[in-house]
Amino acid sequence: MKMVTTYEEYEAVDLFADWDAKTQPIINLINLRKWFPVSQQSVLFSRVVAQIKAVDGVKLFLNKGETLGLVGESGCGKSTTARVISKLEEPTEGSVYFKGIDVFQPMTREEELSIKRQLQMVFQDPYSSLNPRRMVLDLIKEPFDIHYPDMAYEEKESRVLEILAKVGLEDYHALRYPHEFSGGQRQRIGIARALAIHPEVILLDEPVSALDVSVQAQILNLLHDLQLDFNLTFMFIAHDLSVIKHVSDRVAVMYLGKIMEMTPTGDLFRKTAHPYSVSLLSAIPRPDPRIKMDRIILEGDVPSPINPPSGCPFHPRCYKAQEICNQKTPMLEEIEPDHYVSCHFPEI
Amino acid sequence: MKPILDVSELSTYFYTESGVVEALDGVSFDVRPGEPVGVVGESGCGKTVTGKSILRILDKNGSIVAGKIFYKGINLVDLPDLQMRKIRGKEISMIFQDPMTSLNPIFKVEDQMIEVIALHRKCKKDEAKQIAIDSLELVGIPEAEKRIIDYPHQFSGGMRQRILIARALALRPSLLIADEPTTALDVTIQAQVLEIIKEMQQRLGLAMMLITHNLGVVAEITKRVHIFYGGRVVESGATEDIFLDPKHPYTRALFDSIPSLEKDKTRLETIPGTVPRLINPPKGCRFHPRCKYATEVCSRVRPPEISFGKERRVACHHFEELDLHVDEELFVKQATVKEEV
Repeated sequence: MKMVTTYEEYEAVDLFADWDAKTQPIINLINLRKWFPVSQQSVLFSRVVAQIKAVDGVKLFLNKGETLGLVGESGCGKSTTARVISKLEEPTEGSVYFKGIDVFQPMTREEELSIKRQLQMVFQDPYSSLNPRRMVLDLIKEPFDIHYPDMAYEEKESRVLEILAKVGLEDYHALRYPHEFSGGQRQRIGIARALAIHPEVILLDEPVSALDVSVQAQILNLLHDLQLDFNLTFMFIAHDLSVIKHVSDRVAVMYLGKIMEMTPTGDLFRKTAHPYSVSLLSAIPRPDPRIKMDRIILEGDVPSPINPPSGCPFHPRCYKAQEICNQKTPMLEEIEPDHYVSCHFPEI
Repeated sequence: MKPILDVSELSTYFYTESGVVEALDGVSFDVRPGEPVGVVGESGCGKTVTGKSILRILDKNGSIVAGKIFYKGINLVDLPDLQMRKIRGKEISMIFQDPMTSLNPIFKVEDQMIEVIALHRKCKKDEAKQIAIDSLELVGIPEAEKRIIDYPHQFSGGMRQRILIARALALRPSLLIADEPTTALDVTIQAQVLEIIKEMQQRLGLAMMLITHNLGVVAEITKRVHIFYGGRVVESGATEDIFLDPKHPYTRALFDSIPSLEKDKTRLETIPGTVPRLINPPKGCRFHPRCKYATEVCSRVRPPEISFGKERRVACHHFEELDLHVDEELFVKQATVKEEV
């Protein structure tokens, strides 16, 4: 890679020249691990006594223009995965490729910015993810201040108003503070911040789970419209499978820091392969009083990621588990075109 | 059958610095013995306030300003405090939403359960402890005898919710008010807890008021349902009837706005605007500013609750003219899904 020193020079260099949207994924995670140390404080020193294996060998890819749904129960590492992709956390092991470039290789500030300009994130809680002391105008202007410091103030302002209109807010909202908005409107502000500098990929971390159903529908529709308008690629994290089904082109099911199954959305529901996905699907209460289901009820709780089970992490709760599941960790394999499963005894 | 709980024209207001919040405004509904009933609505519609009003555990700034709550023929609204205490926990129990905050972290599970039992039954500590252990075993806590001396933080979220259910059922109440009992839990844990609630309800013949916003949970557990909006009941009826043939525009809009596993659609129907704030609620029908069928009369006159058919009730000026029936195509699709499952 050529060294760049000034802003102008940077604009001229195309960091992603080698990347081909047709054949390569826009984001590619290879064997990603993120372990958090648990330390114990003694009188003077603290020592690490255990590791929380939040993300433990994730393989995942995201193609341009699609929506990948990442689903799993709390503590399975969905959010940590997104935080590592957006460089909010350093991985313990493995790599994250964005348009063919390893984002954790040593790079200049300009190169880093040029990745972040194309990769933005929307957070779960619209109440704590916006600074209560700043006006909406300043909140949405911030990405321009960072990425386009030379832009004239009037230009920034007009762009903020433009983006506000895009997410369904009015001009006068720009001069208000976050506490003056409802949960749904705040999530619109969060989306506007992510969208402001026209990124290609947005990582959405549970964007609708804090909202009421009628408001949730508004936000889901808004995201759908924005995706078409701006040709966006989404990674949509959620724990609600009906929301995931509604928004995603492909779905990845995560359990205890690993991907269990990754497949086009339709196949997840028609040709469910992993026993965990099967149980997850059968656990959802359906809003139709006529459907009486024989439910697979999983025993026990999700094991602690500090000391995950050996072999397949799901085996202690799995109805198909055999001896081998305890000993050998199954690899994520492509059992059908575009259908990846990590299980010794898949259902298909 | 005579209802075990009969709430009529209940109004509960909260007095705050910014004005009077009309959290409940003339709410009427009933629960029959041994019957699971759903109370459904979005946040701020008055579901939880209804539960708290029945047990008279409202926050200090709130009070019941009108209406009657008959429980087994006794009006709870003007019952003296001392007698009300005998009802709470023994006759009517409540489970709260968040299992993380409903147990006191500094007391053992044992102490928190025995406290309730000893308050109502004049019995020795050992006997009370045995009742507590039996109750914990009933809800499927493994090794209840050993684990009862643990502290709440030693249990997972699902287990804590079981403890709360065990505590609520220890004295075999006749009515259980469950306020969003599974909302804070993961789906697989939710499935476990729902199974326990369903089993307990059937085994003990409990009358249950299940407060929730999750239509899936309602469809699965309840026989009848009351839909709340803006502090009023907009529609009541048998669960199946309401799900298939909603009469109130809000009920239909609510169903349309949830993404479903059965529907394949790229756009959801939405309800414009947000849930109304109840300090200055809309005049007339409280749903009219968001309703696509609203006319002039809706903004002026509060719609009366009209009974019709098999125990159906709806509060809408236009329900007779509207056809909100869920379309047949979806029926067929759902039927096939059912077979596949």
